[in-house]
Amino acid sequence: MLGFVIQRLLQAIAVMAVMSVIVFFGVYAIGNPVDIVIPPDATQEIREEAIRRLGLDRPVWEQYGIFVVNLLQGDFGRSFIYNEPVLQLIGGRLPATLELVLISVVSATVLGVSLGIYAGYRPDGWLSKTIMAVSILGFSVPSFWVGLILILTFAVSLGWLPAGGRGETVELWGIRWSFLTIDGLSHIVLPAVNLALFKFAMMIRLARAGTREIMLTDTVKFARAAGISERVILRRHLLKLISIPIITVFGLELGSTLAFAVVTETIFSWPGVGKLIIDSIAVLDRPVMVAYLILIALLFVTINFVVDLVFALIDPRLRTKAAA
Amino acid sequence: MKTTFNLKRLIAAGAVAALGAGAVSAQTLTMGVRGGPESLDPHFSALGSHAEAAKHIFDTLVWSGTDLQIEPGLATEWTPIDEDTWEFKLREGVKFHDGSDFTAEDVKFSIERIPVVTGPTTTTIYVRRVSEVEIIDDYTLNIHTDGPAATLPFDFVRLFIVSSEAAADFSTPETAAAGFNSGEATIGTGPYKYVSWEPKGDLVLERFDDYWRGMGAWEQVIRKEIPNDSSRLAALKSGQVDLVNYVSSVDYLALERDAAVDAIKGDSVYVMNLQLDQREDTPKVFANDGSKLDENPLRDPLVREAIDLAIDRETMVDIVLEGLGKPANQMMPPGFFGSSEDIPMPEYNPERAKELLAEAGYPDGFKIELYCTADRLPGDGAICQGLGQMFSQIGITTDVNAISKTVYFPAQARLEYSVFMNGWGTLTGEASYTLGSLAHSNNPDVKLGAFNRIEYKNDKVDELMQAGATMLDADERRATYEEAMELTMADRAYISIVQLQTVWGAKAGALEFDPRFDEDTLAFFVKPAE
Repeated sequence: MLGFVIQRLLQAIAVMAVMSVIVFFGVYAIGNPVDIVIPPDATQEIREEAIRRLGLDRPVWEQYGIFVVNLLQGDFGRSFIYNEPVLQLIGGRLPATLELVLISVVSATVLGVSLGIYAGYRPDGWLSKTIMAVSILGFSVPSFWVGLILILTFAVSLGWLPAGGRGETVELWGIRWSFLTIDGLSHIVLPAVNLALFKFAMMIRLARAGTREIMLTDTVKFARAAGISERVILRRHLLKLISIPIITVFGLELGSTLAFAVVTETIFSWPGVGKLIIDSIAVLDRPVMVAYLILIALLFVTINFVVDLVFALIDPRLRTKAAA
Repeated sequence: MKTTFNLKRLIAAGAVAALGAGAVSAQTLTMGVRGGPESLDPHFSALGSHAEAAKHIFDTLVWSGTDLQIEPGLATEWTPIDEDTWEFKLREGVKFHDGSDFTAEDVKFSIERIPVVTGPTTTTIYVRRVSEVEIIDDYTLNIHTDGPAATLPFDFVRLFIVSSEAAADFSTPETAAAGFNSGEATIGTGPYKYVSWEPKGDLVLERFDDYWRGMGAWEQVIRKEIPNDSSRLAALKSGQVDLVNYVSSVDYLALERDAAVDAIKGDSVYVMNLQLDQREDTPKVFANDGSKLDENPLRDPLVREAIDLAIDRETMVDIVLEGLGKPANQMMPPGFFGSSEDIPMPEYNPERAKELLAEAGYPDGFKIELYCTADRLPGDGAICQGLGQMFSQIGITTDVNAISKTVYFPAQARLEYSVFMNGWGTLTGEASYTLGSLAHSNNPDVKLGAFNRIEYKNDKVDELMQAGATMLDADERRATYEEAMELTMADRAYISIVQLQTVWGAKAGALEFDPRFDEDTLAFFVKPAE
């Protein structure tokens, strides 16, 4: 087991090293930020000075070297645009994204799985058909459009909920959170619904497929024959069996939503990292782009690492079960 | 009897509620803006959105009015006292937010602080000509320059004055952001005081009652950053904000029909210019079969005239921009220092254009790739598409590439384009800013022409721009710049197409303000409607 962990850890480090090269040179290839950030009336001399200050006059491999050395010391550099350390900038906005993503992914999972099980349990009921129709809608409508429609309906026409922003926040553990105030919650609702829609649809389909499969298995048949109530079958057997794929997908979705909540954050002016990264790309704020991509790569490498470990742990158990 | 009594009470209660609500909304102005600032250190960035936010808290030495012509600000008057010295008289009795007095020391401190703490979008340009600041007394300064600096007062319109006392400990690149973003050093003489700010989030301000221009109309100002155009408008329509800037041309048409919202239209400082590469070998112009041409047709005045004649500016404004613009005949809006009244509006004559092309030796035209941004200024991509069609009509086959500014500007800087369109705003309100950067040949020795990316060179224009830079007499300088503008436009290496207009949206009948040429949305100048 230890050997396996070390091997996977080395692999993860190698992936990160390769990623850092790809990210750095990829971002470097997009273009020179000086052409975007330096004002047009700057004299040639002032331009040179700005380029020198940002370290952009050095050859790219030297810039990469400096970047890696700093990175190993936990220093991601300073943003060109905000003159703040990048980690502080990203860290300051992470809670906003985190609360939005957690609320939407968790509620999508809880609601989606319940409805999915129902739809799988009574596949021919009209309610089940309605649920499936809604899930198709969740898949096929672009979230950008849904966001605008949500704003148009609930903010502009009905005036029930705010159109954007984060609302009132409360400080907890030195970080500002929205979900602890009524005003903050009202700001979360629309973006969370927007963000959750796709995951919600996916969870429904995942749970339904699993339910349909398992309800036809011998386990369920024998359980029924043994006189175990339907309620117990659903809770004890079905839920346990379908939860393995659902947890895997939940983990991955959590990661990808955290990384790519960009569209929703932009439409709802939610001050999270997604919005930060889009704004940074627009002005070629290289340190922020690079740091963000590296952190996202780290996030996925970590998730995969943990998933692999969990599987390795589960594996022997499955084997004994199969033998029994 | 009983009913009336209840009714009376009801009406009274309603009136109180209405009064209360009215009072609250009149005290707070919430603005939804597209962007900025990057930091609350006014010396960090030269971006327009940065300066716009800074103007709420800090004052500038010289004020730039709604039409971008200069007026007294913290300085009441300025005169050149010899070839390279300007004397500035400062306004007396001005207070900082912490109650301390504004003096010459603060100006000197601010000028000297700029080169130290400025970011990549460097504010050093505002003080580049200053060699030394000499304090004569508390309200008089002599500013020595490196040679005659005629445009110094124009440079100073973005010279924000910070408190030398409050900012003393926050004037290195490492400490500046922390000091100003926390509010500790954010002490200005402007109309509003700092309350709170987070990057990309809300800037909350409180009225400064001792402001020298008088008390502002709003007790509290909240400046919300909402970059997405649709979201910003939705925030206005749902009543979350009272005022939004940069309404898109598509939304403008809808707003015109919406009784709940006022659309306020203002002339913008931005002019769209087509730029034609003047190098002997240009990369993106081809013969019709895609092969390389022997010479660059864009160097031929007949071809350039043909291109100019092919542009239907009226259609561009009416159809492409939905009416949000004006045909342009030069690189600055009318009335700006150095824009000429003698330049005629170019005509639209595709027949004549075809004849000229034939005369120049291209009876069947040729092929170009046209580049422009699609995400920088309102309508930029659409104008580009329009140009493509108009050129194709006279036989110049045009591939239109309307792309992101992040790709466009670096490629433009590498001189990869032959025919491209840029929006240019004369933010200082005078011609040396525009002609000095674009029309003068690129020459680091005289610090001019840094943005001339078509290798345009007219010796007479160079000469006039260099002479103008040292002319301390304003009338003489104005005449010189006007001549340079006329010569540049006659050469048609730069072809101005339209001057843009900007739209603000506000709650119907609630607000009054004059749109500014630089598109700034300044809370102090927004008043509740009578």
